[in-house]
Amino acid sequence: MNSASVIELGRPVAPRRTLLRYWQGTLRGSEFTWAIAFVIPYIAVFFAFVVYPVIYGGWMGSTPRLYGELFSDPIYQETVVNTLLFLAFGVNVKLFLALLMSGFFMHPGWPTKVLLMIFVLPWAVPALPTFISIHWMLNGEWGLVNNALYTLLGVEGPSWLNTRWLALGAAICSHVWKWLPFWTVILLAGRMSIPHEIMDAAKVDGATGLRRFIYVTFPLLANLYLVLTLLATIFLLGDFNTVTFVTGGGPANSTHVLATLGIRDAYDMGHPELGMAAVLSALPLMIPLVIILMRKLRTTEVQL
Amino acid sequence: MGNLSRRGILRASVQLAAAGALARPYIANAAATTATVWWIQGFVQEEDVAFREIVAEYQKVSGNTIDYSIIPYAPMRQKIVSAVTSGLVPDLFQNSPTELIALYAWDDRLVDVADVIDTQRTEYTETALLSAFCYNSVQKRRGYYGVPYTTAALPNHIWRPLVEKAGYKMEDIPKTWDAYYDFFKDVQRKLRAQGERKVYGLGFQVTTNGNDPNNTFNYFLIAYGGQDIVTKDGKLHLDDPKVRQAAIKALAYPATAYKEGFVPPGAINWNDADDNNAFHSKQIVMDLDGTISTEVAVIHNEQDYKDIVTMGLPLSNEGKPVPTQVANAFGLIPKGAKNVAVAKEFLKFFIQPSVNNVYLKAGLGRNVPCMPSIAKNDPWWLDPADPHRVAYVTQGLLGPTVPSLWTFNPAYAQVQNEHVWSTGWTDIMTKGVAPEVAAENCFKRIEEIFAKYPIVQS
Repeated sequence: MNSASVIELGRPVAPRRTLLRYWQGTLRGSEFTWAIAFVIPYIAVFFAFVVYPVIYGGWMGSTPRLYGELFSDPIYQETVVNTLLFLAFGVNVKLFLALLMSGFFMHPGWPTKVLLMIFVLPWAVPALPTFISIHWMLNGEWGLVNNALYTLLGVEGPSWLNTRWLALGAAICSHVWKWLPFWTVILLAGRMSIPHEIMDAAKVDGATGLRRFIYVTFPLLANLYLVLTLLATIFLLGDFNTVTFVTGGGPANSTHVLATLGIRDAYDMGHPELGMAAVLSALPLMIPLVIILMRKLRTTEVQL
Repeated sequence: MGNLSRRGILRASVQLAAAGALARPYIANAAATTATVWWIQGFVQEEDVAFREIVAEYQKVSGNTIDYSIIPYAPMRQKIVSAVTSGLVPDLFQNSPTELIALYAWDDRLVDVADVIDTQRTEYTETALLSAFCYNSVQKRRGYYGVPYTTAALPNHIWRPLVEKAGYKMEDIPKTWDAYYDFFKDVQRKLRAQGERKVYGLGFQVTTNGNDPNNTFNYFLIAYGGQDIVTKDGKLHLDDPKVRQAAIKALAYPATAYKEGFVPPGAINWNDADDNNAFHSKQIVMDLDGTISTEVAVIHNEQDYKDIVTMGLPLSNEGKPVPTQVANAFGLIPKGAKNVAVAKEFLKFFIQPSVNNVYLKAGLGRNVPCMPSIAKNDPWWLDPADPHRVAYVTQGLLGPTVPSLWTFNPAYAQVQNEHVWSTGWTDIMTKGVAPEVAAENCFKRIEEIFAKYPIVQS
């Protein structure tokens, strides 16, 4: 008998965990039954409204021919560029400004609180009326912006929505304006959760102003900032309202993003499969983002 | 926008009760059962009230139940496409967007409703019947796949005070096509000379979204003699020099007017409502736009309502009448509907002139009937006291009309959905492409699209 066999013989016999026992965990008897009863509605809803639509959408957009049709469409090619620009500027400008604004709103005193209340208004008001208002305000002939420019400065403003880059820029600015308060408030909460002791210690060591931000605040907020960047990117990929109501995808379909092109192809063109393919074509970007996000959420337990 | 008044509702109810009594012979003896109906929300609230009352009357006389949902225009389009794609369909819905009838008929997704049309066949205009007669590529035949119940056309809407401010009278407006629209360029020049900084003569919708640019192009195409671009047999005739010339001119005129500054620069990116907004704010002197909703929207502002002039189409450049291309609204029964019998019965009830008239009048004449007898038998439609309705009814119902081109071949629906023609406008307006070159690009794309819709038998 070798040493390994001796060890095996000497090991106490442990009851084998069955699959049921594994699922039950620490719950026993009626506790487990109640747990199942509570979770079943959620699972049913999850399957009905998440799993089934995703599988159905994937099935609708699963024909390779659709992608040939999609990739050869010049509007789609422009749309991919627009989407990348929308993400690059929309996410980074918004979050960088939010980071700065959250620092401003950390200042104590009631004027800051009042300003914060005003600042969150764009986020609090419904998106559609505000974007439609922006569309009208940017009208080159009778919009508020150009009329103000003419009245105050005697300058004829450009036709904001008539050229691709100005219109896309208008859509990005509108998105940033609308969502900046939301991300500012989250970063503000992140800043507020930094222990005072750390800040006080930094102050004692002479770190103030920009130095304190660079060496203390930002390192502590870095993981939160990264997670917010990933989240904002995922949200922005699905943003349909901004482009639809600010530029309408125009002029000449030159400012579509994938979310709006999918709707155009599905409903305006009456080709739902093509619309689904347009949306699914964002998956190569979306899936890695979700995976990175999940990993970050798992590994940042001890940090902000 | 009209307000509900007790008197109005009472009047509609009485008319409907009378209509219902006349309508009863058309109710078949189907077993009492329920049909699901999706109906587009009316432009004015009275339309929805009238529809509800018609449903109530039908339910009373038939014993059946109509389980209806009134849905706004844009969501309706998405709801229908989703329903037909998934196969979970109601028993009856409308053609929203209008070309759905041709596209779904092509795919064999609609029930043939010839038996419903037969109950009023002699009442309908020839155009309405033609519009419903679409090609089924599975059965390789044409059939009636929709039941028409209303008609819409594009009249010219003109601000009389702006014309008069420019020193003209309405009678000065020329009668032939190009001269007619050129006139408004002159009006703009005169108004600008008086310091009107942002007034434009022409409200052409040279955009690439919605229905309006397609309609505008088609009207110009027909005016220039290009009606036969698609013939009743569904064949494309881009090899016809007359059609090609008409298409080039229809691309050139609005795009050139835009480039010359007679159309608001923003028109390149207008949505369906933007031209109405521009017109109501008196930024454009005239607008060629569908229905008289432009006028009905200001019905409670008496001065504005009187100041707007509704005109039909000018004559062609050769001095001949230009037929108005009209779009009909239809009741469609999708294949897979659970209760086709009740859906058909309800449609038979709904299209009886007496019932149909109540519904259309509730919409304040925004849409005209597709049955001439309705307008001839009810003086309301041609009442000269209303400055807009007479012109609109004369243009869209009593004058020469032609159906939408996608009726003959659904390929033209895809041409419109892709905005092939207005992309040609954009090329001319923003890229400096010559109209002939822009037209060639359009022809090429249109031929590609038509190749996907071969009609082997008509």
